[in-house]
Amino acid sequence: MVINLGTPVVESREQRLGTVIAWDGSASRLVKESCYSENGTACCGCRLCERENRGPFTQGASCSEMMVECQAGHVRDAVLIQHSPIGCGASQVTYNSKFRNALKMRGLPVKNMRVVSTNLDENDMVFGGIDKLENTIVETWERYQPKAIFIGTSCSTGIIGDDVDSVSEEYSQKLGIPVIPLHCEGFKSKHWSTGFDATQHGILRQIVRHGHEKQEDLVNVINLWGSDVFRPMLAELGLRVNYVVDLATVSDLAQMSEAAATVGFCNTLSSYLATALEQEFGVPQVKAPQPYGFAGTDAWLRELGRVTHRETKVETYIEKEHRRVKPLVEELRARLSGVKGYVATGSAYSHGLIAVLRELGIRVDGSLVFHHDPVYDSGDPKQDSLAYLVENYGDVAHFSVSNRQQYQFYGLLKRVNPDFILIRHNGLAPLAARMGIPAAPLGDEHLAVGYQGMVNLGESIRDILAHKKFHRDLAEHVTLPYKKSWLESDPYSLSIQTSAAGEA
Amino acid sequence: MSKKLKQIAIYGKGGIGKSTTTSNISAALSKMGYKVMQFGCDPKSDSTNTLRGGEYIPTVLDTLREKGSVKANDVIFEGFNGIYCVEAGGPAPGVGCAGRGIITAVQLFRQQKVFEDLDLDFIIYDVLGDVVCGGFAMPIREGIAEHVFTVSSADFMSVYAANNLFKGIQKYSNTGGALLGGIIANSINQEYSKNIIDDFAEKTKTQVVEYVPRSVTVTQCELQGKTTIEGAPDSEQAKIYTHLAEKIAAHEISHTPSPLDTTELREWASGWSKQILEVESRKVSAGA
Repeated sequence: MVINLGTPVVESREQRLGTVIAWDGSASRLVKESCYSENGTACCGCRLCERENRGPFTQGASCSEMMVECQAGHVRDAVLIQHSPIGCGASQVTYNSKFRNALKMRGLPVKNMRVVSTNLDENDMVFGGIDKLENTIVETWERYQPKAIFIGTSCSTGIIGDDVDSVSEEYSQKLGIPVIPLHCEGFKSKHWSTGFDATQHGILRQIVRHGHEKQEDLVNVINLWGSDVFRPMLAELGLRVNYVVDLATVSDLAQMSEAAATVGFCNTLSSYLATALEQEFGVPQVKAPQPYGFAGTDAWLRELGRVTHRETKVETYIEKEHRRVKPLVEELRARLSGVKGYVATGSAYSHGLIAVLRELGIRVDGSLVFHHDPVYDSGDPKQDSLAYLVENYGDVAHFSVSNRQQYQFYGLLKRVNPDFILIRHNGLAPLAARMGIPAAPLGDEHLAVGYQGMVNLGESIRDILAHKKFHRDLAEHVTLPYKKSWLESDPYSLSIQTSAAGEA
Repeated sequence: MSKKLKQIAIYGKGGIGKSTTTSNISAALSKMGYKVMQFGCDPKSDSTNTLRGGEYIPTVLDTLREKGSVKANDVIFEGFNGIYCVEAGGPAPGVGCAGRGIITAVQLFRQQKVFEDLDLDFIIYDVLGDVVCGGFAMPIREGIAEHVFTVSSADFMSVYAANNLFKGIQKYSNTGGALLGGIIANSINQEYSKNIIDDFAEKTKTQVVEYVPRSVTVTQCELQGKTTIEGAPDSEQAKIYTHLAEKIAAHEISHTPSPLDTTELREWASGWSKQILEVESRKVSAGA
């Protein structure tokens, strides 16, 4: 599929990739219904995306705008303007804490993120919010002198049709810095991951530079806030890391076009940016399984080595790491064998984590992903991470798609009764805790990456299993807020997709 | 693709004959050999009816509502002489937000690069009304239409709508938005009607592109679900539409209009109403 950078508004995930947010069945069936390899192009009109034409019952959800906040808002020398009523700024608190932690973890000076709200009110809804936006841009420039200004739109400005694009263009010229509209109205996509794409779309259009010389040892690593595992790993291959988008500077973003390759730790996050960098700037995207477990990491490194012409170094590194890590993994396997785990994370990330758990001998009968993309932007079957998981590490009997819905989580966990869960979005963890199931909150999303990742994750799991008794006690002394009738129901019985999802 | 795509928006007060005029322009351009798409931006979704034998086509927004995503090719329908017909669609009267509907439909088409792929010569947006909100201004913003024409009769309410449109164009003109090509004066049968429109054009520093008289031929053709170009190709009216289309095809440079402010417009209208009253009273006394 072709990414279109010619228009300021990004195409939503469901439109490009056929994204679904409710589905229930085995991983192998989801692979089949996604028709990735047969189509090779995005949003194929397969049974899967045609079927889910309405959203399921939803208790609450994230928003594309939040993903703009945690990407554009985390570019270190830029400022994000939220062109919205003040309520859209509620998540600044969370994302500021993530930003500060991340800076600390990477050894960078700790500071607050810079986000400004236009604080739109009733008058602005009636008369338009453009004047306020202009004032805010001027104020932001005078106060911070940033290297770029991002403008995140909101539902309200989308509905009244504020012409953010023209104002951005005008001030880009007046201030001599990129002023970048990011169209992230929450109502425009059923899944918040469109917000990743909206940010990346704006950066690709207005920051990434054309026509500079290539840096043959530079690799774009599309990341969030995880610890610095890629730099030492890639240094062994003689490669330098350009971490984007989070924690990057505007200049780091600009030089993405000069890199020798682009990699990611999660296809959900990196699909759009990596594909567009290849299409528009000729930077090869490493199309390989994700770097999890022995098989995935081997394949990922080999493809990176091929693209950057470092095949020999890669083989040496793989051999060295296998020798070092295999005994450690064996030891962990001996301790963890037979333990039952459950993974509840973003979509492609869970494919990687399940692989790592199975490398550690942990049984995984169930997983919850917050959405599912039947294909990724490249359309290349080598990036079909779910198929790779099923083929190399076996099926997952209960592979559920649900947009972080609390009300479904009890039933999902009850199906498989795990000993622990892995989770990155802590909203669901307390429910598991009250059911007596300890949760490992993967605050550092790079924890499980690569060879060392298997050891890290194994050790984290051993730590959380030590809390089992505490959690059992907790479960005995708390009651859940649901009626018995609901707790005994199928977790998808409120979803419009139930009958279809139940088909063989 | 080497040829330059010309994007035109035609605005006007509801009921003024905007869709009739637009469809006849599309039909005439197409008969001149151009590849044309007509994009109806009115929740009534009847812009392209006379290009399709009077039939309604599924709209972009209805399809989006049903399926959750839209492939542009599923909502493009061929009409008279191969004209591509699209209806944005929109909410039922009194609910939702029609302006947002236009934004959604137009963005969807632009993202899918449809215009480039079809190798069009003309896209004509047929847009409802007075530019009452940001959504209705979508087609005149940067990068969408380049030239705007407004259909107006000499009726004051219609002129007010045109003046509002000029305000919208003026607002977006310094940020790369569309500029004004001129006024298509519709239903001009009285001499004073022509004078009113001419005067308004002069005051707002624009031009009248064509005077289109009211004609029963148009109604007869529409009742058969046809444009005048298709239904009565040899009629006088068809010649006028063809002439208009030729001017639009040749039109290259548009300008920023100078809309009248509220007081000026009121005074201007009041001056004309006195004159019309005098003309009409003379007619009455002459007839008595």
